[in-house]
Amino acid sequence: MRVAVVVAHPAVESFCHHLASRAVTGLRAAGHDVTVLDLCADGFRVAMSATEREAYHGDTPVLDPLVAAHAEVVRNAETLVFVYPTWWSGLPAVLKGWLERVLVPGVAFVFDERTGRVRPGLGGVRHIVGISTYGSPRSYVSLVNDNGRRIITRALRMSCGIRTRTHWIGLYAIDTSTDTERREFAARVERELAALR
Amino acid sequence: MTRALVVYCHPVETSFVAAVRDRAVAGLQRAGADIRVTDLHADGFDPAFTADEHVNHLRPGPDPSVAESASDLAWCDTLVLVYPTWWSAQPAMLKGWIDRVWVSGVAWSLPPGSNRLRPELRNVRRLVAVTTHGSPKWINMLEGEAGKRTLTRSLRSMCHPLSRTTWLAMYGVDTSSERRRTAFLDRVERRLARLA
Repeated sequence: MRVAVVVAHPAVESFCHHLASRAVTGLRAAGHDVTVLDLCADGFRVAMSATEREAYHGDTPVLDPLVAAHAEVVRNAETLVFVYPTWWSGLPAVLKGWLERVLVPGVAFVFDERTGRVRPGLGGVRHIVGISTYGSPRSYVSLVNDNGRRIITRALRMSCGIRTRTHWIGLYAIDTSTDTERREFAARVERELAALR
Repeated sequence: MTRALVVYCHPVETSFVAAVRDRAVAGLQRAGADIRVTDLHADGFDPAFTADEHVNHLRPGPDPSVAESASDLAWCDTLVLVYPTWWSAQPAMLKGWIDRVWVSGVAWSLPPGSNRLRPELRNVRRLVAVTTHGSPKWINMLEGEAGKRTLTRSLRSMCHPLSRTTWLAMYGVDTSSERRRTAFLDRVERRLARLA
């Protein structure tokens, strides 16, 4: 499978980057073709600009070459993997901005101006995988609705095909987690991604 | 007197959301509130949380570049967020304002050895979202209303324990009539005039 791994953490030495590399190891061991999109390292611009917003519903909504390159990776991907820290129960701004600027009409969905309906454009995606770390314990995460997970597994899922499957691998209460727990979690990430078919 | 901080987020000044902001401010003025407005795009707010901020994220106090935003947040008793809902939540720019301004020593503190944050924004007694959705309400319900829950649960949990939330949302903007949009603008002004 062609797999896109989207990483959103500003620090290269972060645990998220370690998880991303373990995910890539697992995927490559299973013979998948992996492309890593490291948003912070690439200097991906977070906010949609005024010109991008004005072009959004036009024929060419993609104006930035980096966005165009990422959109091409997404168009070809059969699996999308997101690795990020959950902040304020949601996606880090840079990952939210990636959804807004890369998954535009013509890439993730087709917007029919006449009927006002949105048709999914990512029918070729077989799996969506979320790998996230949380500061809070799982009970609190559920209480506040795990909003980042909702965006990935529901809002983004709606732009995919009927058979697209979602998988979630979360490490909760990371601030009080032990070395052993983190090691086991990283091993689980590698194992589960190697098992993806 | 109500101290209202309006955080407005839309890149295009001629957008419908800009009109919504104007009517929200008009409503607060009618109520006699003391108002501060932050326009994230016009102010050139940088929404990217840096590696440096990550390293220091437990140290109390905001990054010097967002100190003014943090003092506005500590000043207000009513926080009004005006934004378009994109991918079922706040735009990245506004999420970046949350990521960078609602930090340790401003919005929360973490007692040593704990994983439960302690709320520090007890001054905020009312949280208001004024937002537009391109898609109809049922789609947003299926998607889990991530933006709404971020406000009413996640952000609210760091404010005053008895703080109240107000959700003023227009759904299906993409296919809306002029009449519905006007009605929404009127509703926003009326509702915010009654807040204080």
